Amino acid sequence: MSEKKVYQCEDSLEGILTAVYDAWSSRNGHGNNEIRILSGDYQGNMELFTEYIIVKNSEEKISKVIKAVYEKISSEAYELICSAACSCEQSRGDDIYRFLIVGFSVGREIVDQLHNKYVMRIFELTRNVSNEAHHLKGFLRFQEIEEGILVAKIAPKNDVIRILAPHFSDRLCQENFIIYDENRNTAIVHGESKAWFYTDSSMLDVDRIKNISEREESIDIMWKAFFQTISIKERENKNLQRNNLPIRFRSNMTEFE
Amino acid sequence: MVIQENMTVQKKLEILSDAAKYDVACTSSGVDRKGSGSGIGNSVACGICHTFSADGRCISLLKILLTNECIFDCKYCMNRASNDVLRATFSPEEICNLTIEFYRRNYIEGLFLSAGVLKSPDYTMEQMLKTLRMLREEYHFNGYIHCKAVPGADPVIVEMTGWYADRMSVNLELPTADSLKMLAPNKTRKNILKPMKQIQIGRLENKGMPVFNRIPFSEEDGYDTGRYLTTAAKAQTTSDIVLPDISDIVTADPSGSSFGLIKPPSVNRGFVPAGQSTQMIIGATPESDYQIISVAEALYQKFDLKRVFYSAYISINDDSNLPALTQGPPLLREHRLYQADWLLRFYGFQASELLSENRPNFNTLMDPKCNWALGHLEQFPVEVNKADYYTLLRIPGVGVKSAQRIVRARKSANLTFEDLKKIGVVLKRALYFITCNGRMMYPVKIEENYITSMLLQVKEKLPLGIEAASAYKQLSLFDNADFTSANADFRSLSQDNFLSGLGG
Repeated sequence: MSEKKVYQCEDSLEGILTAVYDAWSSRNGHGNNEIRILSGDYQGNMELFTEYIIVKNSEEKISKVIKAVYEKISSEAYELICSAACSCEQSRGDDIYRFLIVGFSVGREIVDQLHNKYVMRIFELTRNVSNEAHHLKGFLRFQEIEEGILVAKIAPKNDVIRILAPHFSDRLCQENFIIYDENRNTAIVHGESKAWFYTDSSMLDVDRIKNISEREESIDIMWKAFFQTISIKERENKNLQRNNLPIRFRSNMTEFE
Repeated sequence: MVIQENMTVQKKLEILSDAAKYDVACTSSGVDRKGSGSGIGNSVACGICHTFSADGRCISLLKILLTNECIFDCKYCMNRASNDVLRATFSPEEICNLTIEFYRRNYIEGLFLSAGVLKSPDYTMEQMLKTLRMLREEYHFNGYIHCKAVPGADPVIVEMTGWYADRMSVNLELPTADSLKMLAPNKTRKNILKPMKQIQIGRLENKGMPVFNRIPFSEEDGYDTGRYLTTAAKAQTTSDIVLPDISDIVTADPSGSSFGLIKPPSVNRGFVPAGQSTQMIIGATPESDYQIISVAEALYQKFDLKRVFYSAYISINDDSNLPALTQGPPLLREHRLYQADWLLRFYGFQASELLSENRPNFNTLMDPKCNWALGHLEQFPVEVNKADYYTLLRIPGVGVKSAQRIVRARKSANLTFEDLKKIGVVLKRALYFITCNGRMMYPVKIEENYITSMLLQVKEKLPLGIEAASAYKQLSLFDNADFTSANADFRSLSQDNFLSGLGG
């Protein structure tokens, strides 16, 4: 009997794909393998009779897996796993692994097999990620700091800033802006008429972000005034408001300060 | 009339957003447009909600009036000429600045500009056009703009505005011409329908489609005329059954556009690319739900509207012609109309299937689709693994998304009840209407009273805060399932209110 193996990988798409490669080539039986993401303090429960393997990222393994997904499944499936890797679910590494096991056996049809629990799980993760990203396209708020730079602070559950980046870069192409994920300490930086880049926030001078520009306050006040007057008193419905705009987003929104 | 000199922009914003809040539409959907690479802004077809106000409504656009000064005296309107309220007018620069500064901070998707009628319809429309032009050409704003067309304004100005706006709307205000005459004496149905028709024709011609009765078309043109011809053909059949008091909408004359007089601006974003919408006030006048959805259906078919909005009447002014509402705005009725509206637009239903002159109002206890299904049990049960998409859509508990997923998933497998549940079908509703592989989920008798009482035990998910309180009082009706009387009660209630408002 083969023993159970747990592949512990870095918290990134690259980490997950390397772990998929290692697990696949272990010849240990998919049922005995598990992929677990090492993130922060969470190590999971250690179990007896289980081998723990630390996965080291490898460019070669990553590109082999990507190539296989493109050739044996489809580009749509690759987009799904990219998006699922941004999920906040602890199990996302193993979910992607299970999805790919089905995918390599049935091919491009996998995206129609909505009744398969592994396929459904991936759709659940991606739906969650894209819903939150869509919410933040609306709920994210920029504040202008000195020199006219726009800064937004968000605290998303899923790792969505790279999904938001193309949207805001297209929209505000003439602006210098920063989108800062305070949960992950990562940021998107966009310079006027330039391409955006993704960085960890050690590069940012967080104190400077607090120096908001002079006219910022007057615009904030006008927005708050608009927000108040546009509501119809006779239809007031805080439950509906909470349902549509969950409280967790509000700490970073000007009108709820 | 109170006009203050030297008012701050903030004060103006408070007055002119307060005055604009009763307009329902705040959607930013219908057009996908990438950033221009130079100016500011883009547009996303699905629309984006930026925040939600205390009434739970989405805020997507900076919704303001250009001015709340108004020479018209519509009884229901806060800004009517005879009201003593603080008046203000924005300059085009002020609107442009606000829009850009709000947009940069990601507060909004764009601008929703409406206006009271200042001096004359032409003058007002000119000011709106000036604002839109400035925003597009001087501020290089490429985001979403929704602009009202003022009834009675010169078609040439309306057309010019159409080149700068993404969506335009002319409010129908009230479902019938008689009600309009009573409550909005300065507006006429003709003046409302004319710009609506003009925008529709402009959109068709802009897309290169020949307009029926106007430009003779030949096969060689190679245009895709299919869509327009079918709409026209469809409309022909509805005119047979149409209610006399909305015949002006159904028989709207498709000729008489002045489209083509105006040269498109140098950056051509298309003519009203996100289409047009309109809105009706619900509950201020005695029209039935059947009349209202028949109007909506005719507007979709004859005017190619993207949306018809329904606005539960809110009592703002005291007027002998207005009903006295004792229970607040009729939100449940508004909700039922939106449900029916969805059935018309996405589920392939016709107004005459949902209601009739004998049964003119929606059931307060049950959504329109369940109500329809119960009246057509002979068409059920439906075999989920075989039925076509539109048949699936008619099953209570199956929505657009789950119907699409069923069609997709059954390509590779025979679906079971367990699969349907995972796909998102609401089985506690659907189970009375479907079979999977020839079998029902439980042995169920297909009998109207029984299914009705079972369905009523499954609590309907109403939007939070809408109380069906008046409906739940009538639990005793469950036994005989004669729910039409519940409707009658509901109607006579508002009818009474209406009459008492008349002093009768």
